[in-house]
Amino acid sequence: MAKTSMEKRLRIASVLVALGLLAELGSLLWSHPTAFIFFLIGGGLLIGIGVLFYLYSLVSTGEAAAQTEPEEVADNGN
Amino acid sequence: MPWSTTLIAIILVAIALTVLLAARPSLTITKAGKILAFLSLFIFPIMAGTMGVFEHIERSKSTEFCTSCHVMEDYGKSLRVDDFSSLPATHFQYNRVPRDRACYTCHTDYAMYGDFRSKLRGLKHVYVQYLGTVPQEVKLYTPYNNRECLHCHAGARGFEEGATHTAEEGRLQAIKSNQMSCMTSGCHDMSHNIKGLKDATFWPATAKQGDAGDTGGASDAGASNETGKEDR
Repeated sequence: MAKTSMEKRLRIASVLVALGLLAELGSLLWSHPTAFIFFLIGGGLLIGIGVLFYLYSLVSTGEAAAQTEPEEVADNGN
Repeated sequence: MPWSTTLIAIILVAIALTVLLAARPSLTITKAGKILAFLSLFIFPIMAGTMGVFEHIERSKSTEFCTSCHVMEDYGKSLRVDDFSSLPATHFQYNRVPRDRACYTCHTDYAMYGDFRSKLRGLKHVYVQYLGTVPQEVKLYTPYNNRECLHCHAGARGFEEGATHTAEEGRLQAIKSNQMSCMTSGCHDMSHNIKGLKDATFWPATAKQGDAGDTGGASDAGASNETGKEDR
């Protein structure tokens, strides 16, 4: 279950980062003041959320593993 | 390899890796997969973002960039006016400033954090363009500071020994300390004459008007003093 949710979060993070990078790429092909705004708001925001989501997925997976560990130990003890 | 090419290459690689991860998130089960995820979802995006900011800041210094806004089109045109009394036009046409960075060279603050302040003002201009009201007449925020002129002219023989600059004792010092303005003292007050553009002729006659960004760089810098009329 933990692996599945981790994979789901990774997928979402990947899509967000990929979209952000595409926006950034698009802004670099256009030399206009609006391109910088597009870069910041479009690219920066999507990449930022994607990276944070990735980091969150790492932390949450760590927490889930820590919670399941004592039960496993208890099971082994029985 | 040019900076922008490197950046685009990094972005393309990062996109390919993130698409791979989105399609096969199970790759992260292995140690190599975890490293791949860290690179493609953390290192590359942060790197691309940081490099992108620098690239955009660098681009914003170009004449083409400044004159790409409708409001600034006439100011771009004024750089090609065939009028020797026009300060911006002579600076542009005689290569006293790099043509591909003409606006930036004269309008940035040559002070600590001057670049940063200029960019913040630029962001404000974009905001006004889309969400505010563009003023009929574009004005400087503060009176033009001699510091910007002196960044290049200070120490130049034409400036230090110029007849008008040394006409009376203390004048040169007053200019250098910004007590006597280069622009508003009546000596070099011919800035961008937007109202006079309708009747103006342009240099060169065949050049596209307003295409100030179509620059020749500083390649013909040697021709800048041909007339001998300049008093740098």
